[in-house]
Amino acid sequence: MIKAYIMILVYVGKLAEVLNKLRTIEHIESIAVTAGDYDLIVKVSVDSLETLMEVTDQIQMVGNIKRTTTTVIEKEISV
Amino acid sequence: MRIRIRKKYLFYALVMGSAVLGAVTASLDSIISQDHIPNSWVFGSAAMLVGIVVTFAIALLLSLPLGAKNLGSRIDPSFRRLRLPRREEVPYHLLAGIGNAVTTLGYFYVVSVFVDPSSVLPFFQVVILYLLVVESLSEKDAPTLAEVESSIVVTFGAILASISLTGSFNVEVLLVIFVVMNPGWVLLAIYQRKLKLMRIDGGYNDAINIRVWNVVFTALFLVLAVFVYNPRYFSDSLQASVEVFWWLALTMAVTFFAYILYIRGLGIGKASITQAVKASTILFGIPLSLALADYLDYSFSATPTLLAIKLMGIVLVVLGVSSFALTEVKAYVFINAKGGYAMRDLMQQVWRIRGVTSVSVLAGKYDMMAKIRIRTLGKGYEKVIRKLEDIEGISEFNWQSILKEWEDI
Repeated sequence: MIKAYIMILVYVGKLAEVLNKLRTIEHIESIAVTAGDYDLIVKVSVDSLETLMEVTDQIQMVGNIKRTTTTVIEKEISV
Repeated sequence: MRIRIRKKYLFYALVMGSAVLGAVTASLDSIISQDHIPNSWVFGSAAMLVGIVVTFAIALLLSLPLGAKNLGSRIDPSFRRLRLPRREEVPYHLLAGIGNAVTTLGYFYVVSVFVDPSSVLPFFQVVILYLLVVESLSEKDAPTLAEVESSIVVTFGAILASISLTGSFNVEVLLVIFVVMNPGWVLLAIYQRKLKLMRIDGGYNDAINIRVWNVVFTALFLVLAVFVYNPRYFSDSLQASVEVFWWLALTMAVTFFAYILYIRGLGIGKASITQAVKASTILFGIPLSLALADYLDYSFSATPTLLAIKLMGIVLVVLGVSSFALTEVKAYVFINAKGGYAMRDLMQQVWRIRGVTSVSVLAGKYDMMAKIRIRTLGKGYEKVIRKLEDIEGISEFNWQSILKEWEDI
């Protein structure tokens, strides 16, 4: 299982529209609206790097997205 | 398509759902106790015997395939199939089973001493404060001041809302509640939470298997205790489990689903907060009690003093639960490390900080990402930022407050 965070910057005024489209994409574990350097932080869980690329492609195709930054999780501890 | 909702709402939906089903169970138990099995020892033992049959039957039904998955995964997405407990789960199941059996036996004792135990049983809600103390002793789950305040408000509210001024008051029975029932429930809640958070085959443990095996272990201890206490009660319970099978099956089936929701809630929130939200069962119990009043021949005391006390209790429970829901701050913290420091050690140092719910080592622009869950932003500075600044190997970090979050359920 490969997990990754995708940090997203959205064009001003388009956040709600992007958010609604992201909520329909498969393999997304969570979507957080954030205040800071990024507008959205999406956590993705996929079987392979190939699928990760497909998910990032789908996110890019949503429209009104200025930039995405993908970081793969190498190790994770959580409650 | 999977449903993506806010985790906070999921937690309250699960625990409130469990509270509603808990109120239904309490009403069913009242009917069974009044009309079919007046002896509480026999009732408890018979319920557990029928409970094993019903619980396994439901779990098998939930294991049936439905499309790509099965029916049970609609109730708990972590559920794959009914399975034997893993070796590492057994100690936790034993402790949770002992806890549940001890609480139930304590309850039978209280009910057998009093015809109307409603003046003392509300003190069972103090278990919320016991859970707070246990969590305070474990550094990772230590409650914040806001959580302690809200928990106290809910506990006192629940006591006031459910207390009766007409029942008698007995110090010995109160001792049983404080020394037997409440610690028993703490064992059950803490170890069921540990079981839910346990990783099985790469995913989280599921509430359905946890409940199935809890029923088995609880029944084992409970039936044994009833047999030792009075073998006659055991043979009576065997007879009752056949004669009143369908009533017992109904109450145990509703209990099954109440526990599934409660255990799922325990997997999301702290045990004390889950318990405090579940105290809202008192509110849901009121309409059911009114509906059953004629059937069970209840006599409601409607003195203005009692009504005022109950109303104050209800207001306190609602205020306390709302305060849990409204005071939560979540954030992601991106972290970059200095050269010459092992990520494994840095990860552990960040993980030890109170309020950190996950730490991920990343490949890319940042070296690490920590997810934070705290009650106030002020605590974010005191408990998280200052601690991060103290870690030698961190070169810089960047706080991203989460304004809203949706997660898969």
